Amino acid sequence: MTETLRRPSTALVAAAVLFVGLFPVFSDDLYYQNMFILSMVFAVGAVGLNIITGYAGYVSLGQGAFIGLGAYTLGICVTDIGGSPWVWVPVAGLLSAAMAALLGVVAMRTRGHAFVILTIAFLFLLQLLATNWDSLTNGTGGITPPLPTWSVEYQNWPFYYSLMGVLAVSLLMSWWIRRTKFGMGLIAIREDEDKAATVGVSTPTYKIFAFAASAVFVGMAGAIYGFYIAFIDPLGMFNILLSVQIILSLLLGGRATLWGPVLGAFIVEWLNETSNNEFGGGNARLLIFGGLLTLVVLLLPQGVIPTAQSWIERLRTRGKAGLAGERLSGIELREREAPPPAPPDASSTPLLQVKGLEKSFGGVHAVDGASFAVPEGSITALIGPNGSGKTTVFNLIGGTMTPQAGEVWFDGERIDGRKPWQRAHLGLGRTFQITRLFPQMTVLENVVAPLREFHVGLLNADAVSGREAQRAEELLEFVGMRKYRDVRAAALSYGQQKLVELAQILMLDPKLILLDEPAGGINPTLIERLGEMIRELGARGKTFLIVEHNMPFVLGLCNPVLVLARGKTIASGSPDEIQRDQRVLDAYLGEDFRLEQPVGA
Amino acid sequence: MTEFLQALILGLLIGGVYALLASGLTLIFGVMNVINIAHGAFLILAAFVTWSLWRETGLDPLAAIVVLTPAMFALGWVLYNGTIRPIRRAPPAASVLLTFGLALFIEGIMGVIWGNTSHSVRPDYFTESFEIGSLFLPKAQVYGGLVATVVLASLYIVLTRSWLGRAIRASAVNPQGAELVGVNVASVAALTFAIGVASAGAGGAIASVLYPFLPGSHYQWIARLLGIIVLGGMGSLPGAVIGALCLGVAELMTVTYIGPEWATGVPYVFVFIVLLLRPQGILGMRLRQDVATT
Repeated sequence: MTETLRRPSTALVAAAVLFVGLFPVFSDDLYYQNMFILSMVFAVGAVGLNIITGYAGYVSLGQGAFIGLGAYTLGICVTDIGGSPWVWVPVAGLLSAAMAALLGVVAMRTRGHAFVILTIAFLFLLQLLATNWDSLTNGTGGITPPLPTWSVEYQNWPFYYSLMGVLAVSLLMSWWIRRTKFGMGLIAIREDEDKAATVGVSTPTYKIFAFAASAVFVGMAGAIYGFYIAFIDPLGMFNILLSVQIILSLLLGGRATLWGPVLGAFIVEWLNETSNNEFGGGNARLLIFGGLLTLVVLLLPQGVIPTAQSWIERLRTRGKAGLAGERLSGIELREREAPPPAPPDASSTPLLQVKGLEKSFGGVHAVDGASFAVPEGSITALIGPNGSGKTTVFNLIGGTMTPQAGEVWFDGERIDGRKPWQRAHLGLGRTFQITRLFPQMTVLENVVAPLREFHVGLLNADAVSGREAQRAEELLEFVGMRKYRDVRAAALSYGQQKLVELAQILMLDPKLILLDEPAGGINPTLIERLGEMIRELGARGKTFLIVEHNMPFVLGLCNPVLVLARGKTIASGSPDEIQRDQRVLDAYLGEDFRLEQPVGA
Repeated sequence: MTEFLQALILGLLIGGVYALLASGLTLIFGVMNVINIAHGAFLILAAFVTWSLWRETGLDPLAAIVVLTPAMFALGWVLYNGTIRPIRRAPPAASVLLTFGLALFIEGIMGVIWGNTSHSVRPDYFTESFEIGSLFLPKAQVYGGLVATVVLASLYIVLTRSWLGRAIRASAVNPQGAELVGVNVASVAALTFAIGVASAGAGGAIASVLYPFLPGSHYQWIARLLGIIVLGGMGSLPGAVIGALCLGVAELMTVTYIGPEWATGVPYVFVFIVLLLRPQGILGMRLRQDVATT
């Protein structure tokens, strides 16, 4: 997330702000004043959109709807209730935020494409309501708010500076979001929403706050816009081209940057005015917007600011070697006998207890009445043939899936109805079969992302506090990945990602750690090292439940061993007992398996 | 009762046309995880070409399908290879924005060529109806629904009985696996996109008789088709057919009992209700998330 503008550009930004801010004072050119006013409306729209699209990764084609919603709120209130139009501007903002939050509730279980569709439907539904609800909106006839009452010599200053104020506040909010836990959670959602939930991010809360934040100032800007252009009708206010202009501004300027949306808005509005004046608008505008949108996606997917930043970065770091290929620290094998697995303490109570768990997908009973217990302080293994339901059991324990029947008890509480992040807050951490780090975050940010608790006030906390950074570094040191703290997770090898994912889970300080095939796909040296780490953590009181196919690894590390076959637990016991258990042999080799007479004997 | 029956039958007939159009959209989504926002623009483009053919040569709009299907197939193939193929590894949002850009561009081109006025194709039988008992069924609707059903049935036969169909379904279910058993997934994707656009061509020719259209009509159409595939379950072909029939009937019922001005709102309401209550749609599946690779 090296998305901040560096110092030389601060001067550039300051100069631009000063120029736009003082423009109406020095120039009475109404053409450019108008262009700047509209640019600022779209800039507010794009800064808002950036919160859900840039930070949280939810693309919306309905952002323009909040401009219309704001304008209509002002128009309706000022004609039906009266008062100064300015009074209704904050009301429009709040109403927009409330509607956006509502949209967030509908979108709670919706991802990616379905969300895009929802935003289109939202925009067109509002347009339809504005068109047909005559008694409230005067239908296609539209609403004409009162004309400004201030002296002509002030020109459009009140519009100009109020919009500038709204834009400043929305930028401040965007800046605040980026440097807090709120922004970090949103980026985690963008990178991998399910994973974010398993490390304690309460995703619906984040999303609903983000939706509201993305709309509040847009509604205010929309209200001022409606007042300014003095005609509020369904076709103009809920025109999808407003959304296009906003999204184009964001993409062109650069997603997830602070100033990108603003820069983009000024460029796109200038293009818009040019197409209107030079080519008569209408079709030319469609061709320019459509063509530009296509070209930006194809040729400039990062946007202007991030692309410029990476050029500068490349110039700066030319000729310097990267970390890639460097050996992992702390990987030297210590030549010593692995201690034998500790026997489970008979007196200890189970930390995790699973009773009669069932989950089927269509006709497939993936988990069919599994019951087992994981003693506190043990390193327990869950083994079984492929397709026996191990990962599904993990998903049911971790909360990414809900069982059709059965109970999961953890640390004396029943948790099968709880959300994944609530389970993480209780002290349950899990890794994934195929590692799932947040690819665009650095290693350090990945490790800091988990949350052991959640309350709304936490959203305001620093994204990475000093204490957290220190703890994260200790954990990275433990897994031998400290040197990589500033590398993007996507740049790591598979084995390295597994180590970082372990450190990430440890950040939760979990009581129980679920590892899904920790030894899968990594080299033998690393497997050895991993075994040592697990033993060491076990000695410090962590409980493990490990799904693994590597039998020497399991048998040398775990006790007890649970065996799952066809969704049921068929055996449990010490590694020795399991190796001799006839049912286990049958399950792995097949019930009908008989040694044939050797050919030719 | 007659009123109800009339609305039901007309709804099913128009639903058949929607089914053809939505099948192309859901097929493209199923195979390449791309929401083709330009689908509506493709169908309006086909409607305009149909209009020109009908105007200039008197060609029946339903016969124009024979010309439009291969022409739109070619357009789809070219556009896929020129624009979508380069970003097929980009995040899914990229394809939505890209096809949206294409839709706007096509809208602009149609505006330049045909102007931003309402057009409609009116063959001789446009004003005639079949009278069955007390029911009046306009011939255009009946022919349109029947032709759409035939085209859709041939699409099904291609998908279920041909090697290409198996390759398409294999690519949809498991692209890596399909690649391993000798399917060139990239070429299959190009063909699928082309087939999807071709079905929009056929459907657009039929739709040109049923509704008046102008370049900006594509928004309403894409909203309608998206509503259908969300309802049926995104990526499911049978789901698209069920969703289309439901929407056709629901629209006609709205026109009959609530008022024609609210009919365009039906798909939006569908989207809200489905995403709130059953996000995977009627026939959609919840996929395993934990092993999903990006």
